[in-house]
Amino acid sequence: MGVAVESRDQALVESPIVFDVAGLNVHYGDFHAVKDVGIQIRRNEITALIGPSGCGKSTVLRCFNRMNDLIETARVSGSIRYHDVDLYGSDVDPVQVRRHIGMVFQKPNPFPKSIYDNVAFGPKIAGFDGDLDELVEQALTQAALWDEVKDKLNDSAYALSGGQQQRLCIARAIATSPDVVLMDEPASALDPIATLRIEDLMQGLKENYSIVIVTHNMQQAARVSDRTAFFTVDMEETGQRTGVLVEFDETSTIFTNPGEKRTEDYITGRFG
Amino acid sequence: MTELRPHFHDELAHLERDLVVMGEHAGRMLSDSVDALIASDVPQAKEIIAADDVVDDLFLEVHQRWLETMALQTPVAIDLRLMSVILHVNSHLERIADLAVTIAKITKKAKKLPHDPTISTDLREMGDIVGEMIRTVMEAFEARDLDRALALPEMDRPVNRLNRKMVRKVAGLASDPELLEWGVRMMVVSRTLERAGDNAVDIAEQLAFLLTGEFREFTDASHHD
Repeated sequence: MGVAVESRDQALVESPIVFDVAGLNVHYGDFHAVKDVGIQIRRNEITALIGPSGCGKSTVLRCFNRMNDLIETARVSGSIRYHDVDLYGSDVDPVQVRRHIGMVFQKPNPFPKSIYDNVAFGPKIAGFDGDLDELVEQALTQAALWDEVKDKLNDSAYALSGGQQQRLCIARAIATSPDVVLMDEPASALDPIATLRIEDLMQGLKENYSIVIVTHNMQQAARVSDRTAFFTVDMEETGQRTGVLVEFDETSTIFTNPGEKRTEDYITGRFG
Repeated sequence: MTELRPHFHDELAHLERDLVVMGEHAGRMLSDSVDALIASDVPQAKEIIAADDVVDDLFLEVHQRWLETMALQTPVAIDLRLMSVILHVNSHLERIADLAVTIAKITKKAKKLPHDPTISTDLREMGDIVGEMIRTVMEAFEARDLDRALALPEMDRPVNRLNRKMVRKVAGLASDPELLEWGVRMMVVSRTLERAGDNAVDIAEQLAFLLTGEFREFTDASHHD
């Protein structure tokens, strides 16, 4: 019997690793929030972190730009190498880290300033001495907002709609030319049309940046990301609930033929 | 485990039940079509042709509900694979019923022609095997039984062998024009049964895909005579 195997593997080209995470554990005081996570974030890709509430996906995201440093009780152990440098090394300045690794939050949080100043603020602080107007236009264009605001750059950012404010926050994040953009539920406060605009925008942004997105919306992860990490909550022997990484693979594999039953149960809604 | 999408999963189960009913109809139509052919039973052949409407209606209903489910529920993983399999199996079963109709129509045309008992015996055997293949693969589908699905190519082998020998057997009837005409029509029946067997194997391939997540053809027809 002749057997013809139809190759369905269209594996992503393995682009260079931006973050290489191994044995990552995060504690908040005595609470073991995330246990033994290993994951690689690759350049010019969108990596989605999904999973139920309390699974540690946002905690992991905040490790990528040392946001957990701002929480007094937080303790991060294990290895996070950023371009092969220890992100948590004693000689690494967290402020410098956040310049390279921008972040967009769940709720749009523009500064109480003009649209222009929101974008120009970061580069100014960083000592940018080039053409600021050009930089602002470039960032707003990349964030797919320029055409809507080019005639009212001096208006307050608060005059914009929620979706526009979120794109302004994305423009603000990329104005400092970061290497990575972290997004924590960037569309969950937006209506469906604004959500689709952000998702479409992300596809353009990944040409220049590496993106890590935390989302509760599984279809959003399926639509936008190249790779997906599925986290869940494990019950420790002590009765504590701890976030663990169950599976990390190409998004097309996760949503057509996941390797782990726990992933399948979650994404098909057979999870409680 | 808590079921978070009960309505969606009920709908999937409903679609699958309709396919099982279709499989029973199509399988019976095929077996009956060979019975009618061998017995030159034209009234039964007409019943088979009429029964195709039932399968066509089921096909259209499954297809419509499939579209709605895809659009509204965006299935993923095992659910997505099942949806893909349902669409394919729906087409294969509808095709098998059409092949039964082809045989039923030939029954009407061949009724007044002389028969060759050896060829009739071969067609009887092919029909029995293909009927059994359809039953087996649909039972395997219901039971999610990969081993039984993998057995289908082996079941199909004698059908292919008998079909390949049919040309020479019909050529042996060349001295009698009426018998030859009957034989040529039986070649079409043989080919039709062979196609029905292939459809059953294709359904088995779909079942293997559902269960393993890997699609592969069990046999590659282009590499055979």
